[in-house]
Amino acid sequence: MTTPPILHRRNAKRRRKMQNGAVLSWTTMSHPLDGFGIRPRTVGLIELEDGTRSLGQLLGEPRIGQKVRPRMALSTVNADGLREYDVAYEPLVTIAWSHIAQKAFPGYILALTGPSGVGKTTVSRIIVNMFGEYAEAVPILTTRCEKDGDDGEYAYVTKKEFTEAMKIGDIASYARIPSSTEERWYGYRHADIEDIWKKGKLPLVITEMHLLRGLSEHYGRRSILSFGLLPPGKSRRAMLSALLHRLRSRGRDAEEHIKERLQNAVSDLDFFRTNAGLFNKILVNEDVDAVIAMLKKHVPAFAEAKN
Amino acid sequence: MNSDIRLIGYGQTRFGELWDMGIRDLMEEAADAAISSAPITALDIDMIIVSNMLAEITNGQAHLSAIASSLLPHHPPALRVESACGSGAFALHTACAMLESGRARNVLVIGAEKMTDVSNDIVSSALMGAADAEQERPAGLTFPGIFGMIAQRYMHEYGLSRAALSLVSAVHHRNACGNSFAQFRTEVTPDDVSGSAPVADPLRLLDCSPISDGAAACVLSTDKESPVRIAASQIASDSLSIVDRPVLTSFSATKDAAERSLAEAEVKLKDIRIVETHDCFSIAALINLEDLGFADPGGGIRFYRNAYEGQTAAHRSPGEGGALGVNMSGGLKGCGHPVGATGIKQIIDVAKRLRETGERYGLAHNFGGACATCGVHVLEHSPS
Repeated sequence: MTTPPILHRRNAKRRRKMQNGAVLSWTTMSHPLDGFGIRPRTVGLIELEDGTRSLGQLLGEPRIGQKVRPRMALSTVNADGLREYDVAYEPLVTIAWSHIAQKAFPGYILALTGPSGVGKTTVSRIIVNMFGEYAEAVPILTTRCEKDGDDGEYAYVTKKEFTEAMKIGDIASYARIPSSTEERWYGYRHADIEDIWKKGKLPLVITEMHLLRGLSEHYGRRSILSFGLLPPGKSRRAMLSALLHRLRSRGRDAEEHIKERLQNAVSDLDFFRTNAGLFNKILVNEDVDAVIAMLKKHVPAFAEAKN
Repeated sequence: MNSDIRLIGYGQTRFGELWDMGIRDLMEEAADAAISSAPITALDIDMIIVSNMLAEITNGQAHLSAIASSLLPHHPPALRVESACGSGAFALHTACAMLESGRARNVLVIGAEKMTDVSNDIVSSALMGAADAEQERPAGLTFPGIFGMIAQRYMHEYGLSRAALSLVSAVHHRNACGNSFAQFRTEVTPDDVSGSAPVADPLRLLDCSPISDGAAACVLSTDKESPVRIAASQIASDSLSIVDRPVLTSFSATKDAAERSLAEAEVKLKDIRIVETHDCFSIAALINLEDLGFADPGGGIRFYRNAYEGQTAAHRSPGEGGALGVNMSGGLKGCGHPVGATGIKQIIDVAKRLRETGERYGLAHNFGGACATCGVHVLEHSPS
């Protein structure tokens, strides 16, 4: 009989059993103890990494000496229908990489992410100028209207065209940027990225948090060499002040749009804190030459360049 | 031993599925047989020790000591001893202590178990009371499962094959054919054993002792003479759970009890000619022979191979002494295993065999659980 107090004491000791170990012995019982179901049940005696031993259900094909790891698994369903879980052990799988067909990896993407006004476009232009032999900017597909100051980084489409491209899966990553004046969609096309790879170059994307996440999900995080760009300033308020100053001084946006960009920037700054795993390196754009030097140091393709 | 304790009478019921007998009936038949074979009357019994493990669960009956006492006209004092499947040996040890202390001069020891009144699931669960309720049971283990694990490890360490292990039950079944009290008086071949239904890998159905009803009783005395005396009575214990043991392929309680028994009886191992061991599962029979000292670790199967091929009792290796009869009664596998009765039945079988063969020393080895408790008795036969 396994009573609630026994279960409680067992559960209290469960943490100790959550270790990798090796199978000392095992058995498969054709008729497990009453309450443990009618299917054959395999139980192993495991020598844990700390030298203690533990009994637990064995998952997979058992073998003495086999390395196993713990995981919670359904152990039994009691008379009241309560599903009781306990520590079970499954084989530690060693993948024989040589037996897996090699998947050709076309290259990686260089991503620059930061709030509006941080200097992504400026840094991107310098990169293309300095390392054009190695990198090429990926056009940003957008539904917004063309503006003065745009410098060929955008591919303008209608909302209908953008939606159609989304539907047929032409777009690797897309996002709607909040705006009170127009519905602005941005995205990157597969074809644009792959064309750059085919040239043997590094696709360079100027992006924001939603687009970066989308690219990461589409191509895989390890396919993106990701740099975050932050405005200078020791505090969040100081960073936002620096952005406001830059947005006003470049004279491209109306004050109404600047306010929207600043509001979006607040979210962007939070994104850096909560999604640190999406970035390989965070750079503070206080001095653009210092940023370029850092990029040259961290991007393998640029490190080989003669510039 | 501090006293000269004689085995002056013994008797037992047939072991098996005895549908028409309750636990009281079983105890009564065995007690009557034991007393009637002894040179005393029932009124000479001044204490009763009852060995039983499961009566509360399988029969809804506790307080077996009162039942035992009521079997005799003068209602002598009685007490019950429980040590799982080793209850019999522990009851005998308690009886010896009573006799040595002078509290009693003629003690009736009754071992009884009535297991077939309930379903196998209930019996399996009840037997798991002999294991650790907070380690083995929550993992879903049964006793066949525990010994399956022991067998798996033994095979891994010593290279024992499944076919070789099957020799053990084949020998025990053949030995049981000559025992009118045995549950299974039919021969099985090693192939029958290997081909029987899987129970707990690598153990098969015919590797496992059965669920049985039965009772056995004996009378020990410091008052009356008999050619058979208890030369040693020792008990020992080990960790209850196999989780807490350093090795799976040897039982330290057996080694401990056996070593102290031989010392107490002042005999050498080579002088022991008759052995009844606790073969609740075939793998246990091999481990027992090794732990008792009759075989090297991993070498227990040699005895059974010789016994099977020679079509005779298992033999020692040359130079290790005379012929050794192991589980000539059929053991737990052939005779059945009404758990509380087994330890008493072993004493009876050793005594009978000593008398039949004229050999001097025999040994009974009975354990509880996965040998968490163990009792070893050495019997000396001195024909007048």
